[in-house]
Order: sequence, then structure tokens, then C-alpha cells
Amino acid sequence: MKLNSFRKKSPWILHYNAGSCNGCDIEILACLAPKYDIERFGIINTGNPKQSDVLLVTGPVTKRSRERLVEIYAQMPEPKVVVSCGACACTGGVFRGMYNCEGGIDQYIPVDVYVCGCGSRPEQIIDGVIEALAILEKKTKDLEQSIRLKKEPVKEDTQLNRRDIAAEIKEIA
Amino acid sequence: MKDILIPVLLILLAPAIGGLVYGFERIVKARMQRRTGPPLLQPFYDFLKLADKRKMIVHSTHAFLGIMHFVSLWFALAVLLLGGDLILVIFLHLLSTSLLILAGYSTRSIFSHLGANRTAISILCYEPVLILIAVSAFMLTGSFDTSSIFNYGASLLFKMPLAFVALLMVLPIKLKKSPFDIAEGHQEITGGVELEFSGIFYEAIYIAKWLDCVFCYTLAYLFGANDPLLGMGLVLFVFLFINGLDNSSARVNYKQMLKFSLVVALPIAFINLLITILFLQL
Repeated sequence: MKLNSFRKKSPWILHYNAGSCNGCDIEILACLAPKYDIERFGIINTGNPKQSDVLLVTGPVTKRSRERLVEIYAQMPEPKVVVSCGACACTGGVFRGMYNCEGGIDQYIPVDVYVCGCGSRPEQIIDGVIEALAILEKKTKDLEQSIRLKKEPVKEDTQLNRRDIAAEIKEIA
Repeated sequence: MKDILIPVLLILLAPAIGGLVYGFERIVKARMQRRTGPPLLQPFYDFLKLADKRKMIVHSTHAFLGIMHFVSLWFALAVLLLGGDLILVIFLHLLSTSLLILAGYSTRSIFSHLGANRTAISILCYEPVLILIAVSAFMLTGSFDTSSIFNYGASLLFKMPLAFVALLMVLPIKLKKSPFDIAEGHQEITGGVELEFSGIFYEAIYIAKWLDCVFCYTLAYLFGANDPLLGMGLVLFVFLFINGLDNSSARVNYKQMLKFSLVVALPIAFINLLITILFLQL
């Protein structure tokens, strides 16, 4: 029994609405409801960034919400993945180029999985989250690998010797 | 030797048993809502995952208080299972909860403060009732020791049924189940005191929840301690009752909870005490 295989069995989701029209949020809530029931994969919708693994963002980033978005992302402990959910979160959607919105969340935080659709269907969201789990596992493995710093001997001393460039001292006759 | 072996094994395996109970609880809750639900070992998967996460702490005292909450709760459970003093058990449980409250107040997070406030209120709700139940058990058996309940001639359930009713009323408060889950309130205060814990330090709080399950079901078992079959039946009944109630009711606010506990549950426990004394006089 390998302990490592348990990792992706309990992703806890944090859902953040960055100015969405609630279309995608309703679909996310539909995933939690009895029909799609994502709790069978061990997924819980926590409201708490400090205990969650997957950040599920909907909506184009309005100028009010961008600071909170970055703050929430910073509060999540590694390893973490970001799923942008819906056309607005991916590219800005119909709000792209408007004065009060930014074009998609990837202008502020790194995104791992893009889920398309306006609003994206529950099946697509579940698919996206499952896709994100593979990335989460890879990230965990990357974190685990020890980093060895390479130390190579210096072949040629390129530094200037100060004695070479020093001004000559003329002997006083 | 054999008498001590079973309690010691139970104490050592208490987190594992609690985890299984918690996993089973999630399945039962899911089935009540016509969902499939997570696998039985899901709490352990969560446990292993949380161990992998980066450790972020607010400050060292906060993390330490969280761990001490878990340790002292385990200690309280150990005293209960080894047949110790019931009053001591209740106060050790109070100590562990108050450590959690201190942890809640030690951060600057407003949700953490709210959770600590509400946890303090829920202590006010269940603690007097538990103490009155312990006192009525003392009146019957002549000792506060849990072992004397086991050695008593008849089951406590038939001797003081009203105490069991009072216990049923306060157990949802203790286990943080709906309608009395104001201390946790995932939709309002996102977990309350446990909000600021993360990674391996949240794990201590998470396992403490499982231990709380074992603690509460052991209290229910005490009412049928004389007859193991009756005891297990009571535990099963309490399990189904609490989860059914959790699924079928909405959260009340803290005033309603306080009112319910002090006006309904506490008088029932008190009447039970009076009746017990009256029967002893006859």
C-alpha cells in the first residue's frame, strides 16, 4: 500500500467569485448536490483558504476583487492548483475590454486548468477538477524532490587582479 | 490484567475508531440525502493529505494550543475508558475545549473570535446538564467512578430514563451538529476556531473531532453499561438520531440554543435528579 496514492483522494475546494454573474456558481453548487455528488471523490467545498487545495475561480476579475483574489491565492498553502471556471474567468468573456474588468484571472495568478463554457456545465467542472488533481499530484512530487545545488570548479579565474591594474608607483629618485 | 487490556487497547485505537465512525457518518449522511457519499476511509485520506501540506502557522502559541486541545481530549477519553471519576472526565473535557477557545482568541481573525465566543456559549449549554447527569449517577451508584456504573446491578437507562433524554438534547451541541452547530457554522463563520489552523496543525483539530465522537458515544454507552447488547443498541440509536437530526434541521441562533438548553434540557436533568433522590428515599 503506497501512501502517495492517497494524495489526490481528498482535494478540498475553495470557491471564489471574482465578479461572476452567478451562472457558473450555480453550476458549481449543482456539482455538490445529489445528482453529481462530487463528495464521492472526497471533494469538500471548504470556505477556508488555509485548508484547501483547489482554488475554483469564476468571473472576470473586477477591479474590486483582484486584490482579494491574489490574497486568497497567497493564503493557500502549497501544493495548490487553480481552476478557472467559465469563459469570463478564462479570457474575460463578454466583459473583455470593459473599463471595470480585467481579461481573465491568469493576468494575476497562475492558472493550471481552464474550463470553458458560459456557464460551464457540471460535467465539465468535474472533468476540470479531476484534471487538476493530476497536476496537484505532480506538484506534490515536485515539492518532495530534494534540490541539489551544483558546485563546479572554476576553470579560469576571470577576476581582475588588483595588482595588475594598480597605478605604478614611481620610485623617487 | 484482562480488565485493563481492553480499555488500553481502546484508548490507543481511539483515533482510528473515531476516524472510522466519522467516515461511516459521512456515508450515512450522504445516503440520507440520496447521494453515494465518500469512501469509508475518507477521513484517513484527508489525514494523509493534510500531512503533506505546507505548514503555515499564525504564531507558535496558537499551534501549540491546538495540539494541546487534542492531547487533553485524548487524556479525558483515557480517564473515561479506564473507569475514572466522571466529574474529572467532564472537567478535563472542559479544559480541552477551553484550550481551543484560548487558541481562537489568540489570533486577530474575526471569524476565529466569533467561533471562540460561540464555543464558550455551547459549553454553557451542555456542561451543567452533563454534571447533573453525573450527579444522578452518583446518587444511584454511590460513586462518581465510571467503573461503579459498570458494576451497578441494573442499567442506568431504566433507572434514570430522563437523564438519557437530557443527554440526547445536549449531544448535538457537543458534537457540533445541526440544529446546534453554531460553534462551527460552515456557512457563516467557516469553521470558527479551526479557521486559522492549517496543514499538520489542523490535523490535531481534525482528529480531536473524531475523538469527540468516541467520547460522546461512550457517554451514551454508559447508560447501558451493564448489558453490552443494550449499550451497543443505545450507541446505534444515538448515532442514527443525531445524524437524522443533523440532516433534517436548520441551524438556530445562539440565543435559541441557550434558551433550549437552559429551559428544556437542564430542568429535565434536574427533575431526573430529584426523582432519583425520591426513589432512593422510598
